[in-house]
Amino acid sequence: MKKSFLLILTLIIPILLMAQASQDFLRSTGKIYSVVAALVIMFLGIVFYVWRLDKKVKQMEDDWDD
Amino acid sequence: MSWWKLLGVLLLTYVIIAGFTVPLKPGIALVSPQSTASNSTLKLSIEGYNTHFESGKQSLEAWLRLDSIHGVQASTITVKNENLIEATFAVGSIENEFADATLYVNNNIDKTAFLPSAIRITKNGDESNFSKQLIPFDRLSSKPGFLFPYREILNETIRNTFFHVALWMAMFALLIVGLYNGFQYLRTKDIIYDSRASSFNMIAIVYGLLGLATGSIWARYTWGTWWTTDIKLNMAAISMLIYVAYAILRASVDDIDKRARLSALYSLFAFAAMIPLLFVFPRMANVISLHPGNGGNPALGGEDMDNTLRMVFYPAVIGLFLFGRWIATIRTRIETLFYKKSQLE
Repeated sequence: MKKSFLLILTLIIPILLMAQASQDFLRSTGKIYSVVAALVIMFLGIVFYVWRLDKKVKQMEDDWDD
Repeated sequence: MSWWKLLGVLLLTYVIIAGFTVPLKPGIALVSPQSTASNSTLKLSIEGYNTHFESGKQSLEAWLRLDSIHGVQASTITVKNENLIEATFAVGSIENEFADATLYVNNNIDKTAFLPSAIRITKNGDESNFSKQLIPFDRLSSKPGFLFPYREILNETIRNTFFHVALWMAMFALLIVGLYNGFQYLRTKDIIYDSRASSFNMIAIVYGLLGLATGSIWARYTWGTWWTTDIKLNMAAISMLIYVAYAILRASVDDIDKRARLSALYSLFAFAAMIPLLFVFPRMANVISLHPGNGGNPALGGEDMDNTLRMVFYPAVIGLFLFGRWIATIRTRIETLFYKKSQLE
């Protein structure tokens, strides 16, 4: 539950931040910064998944020591 | 390090660099006014994008196309700067009640920049002193070179094709690998296939959720809203919910063999449900969608994808697939270790 909540948060927070950011900036130069925003979201999403995998490995390392 | 991991990373690096640095073709961003009456003189202010109106002043010409072959040439053009001109047209009579005229601006540097349906001309009288000319189509041509096409409204966001669209294609490829391994599990009951199947399905689900998120941003800056009732959005959301249920199902069963069997069977159902949701319903007759390529014609053919876009789009799909495969193999190895450990206990 906590994990899925965090996942949703990771994806939504940048969108909310951008909604607050200056509309003029994201629309400037042919809206190129909205593409940058999409790329940032994509990167963060993959990072979040890798971070969860990392936690899985950590859990196994801890179990191994016990 | 396997060659395909490096290939995936290199392809994605190429996609990010080429996807952001290749310029767009010259285009027309805005005209004003956007409507006029026939048999009148029209003073049109034309705003270009990536254009060279000032530098190409000597060869500058502007045309308004009134029917399939006829049009009217601008009698005078005042150049304000590289991206702004004012053109005067003597618009003659038109045959129908109204005509949506396409605007062409041509010069030696940019070649032809055009705006479809730039101006709506409403009929105002039948007789005309103004003459129509044949549009010189042999002189009009697209600027050559490695440039992405310019589309009004889309502008630079056409580059999202390499991220948003490629994510969905890579997701689908990863789901097929996951499905194959699910089949293999049901056939052989070898737990390694369950590890592989779930790993490929999980990274595909991540790609799908990111496809929804990136699409939402794209929609905000082109369609003007985060979410619409567009059939592709809602059907994609439903198929993602079906797959999120797959992840929840796996998390809620502790017994390894039971979880493997249940999730393999469920993934067959989820994949079978996704085919009509993503590929059949949006293509049915009478379905209106804002997405390109619906109502029968595929998006990858026709005028929505041109060859320069393809030169970055296909590497993006392959790169994202290989990168997803890399992450999936890491998770497979972790799962295998978990399984081996549980066997030891």
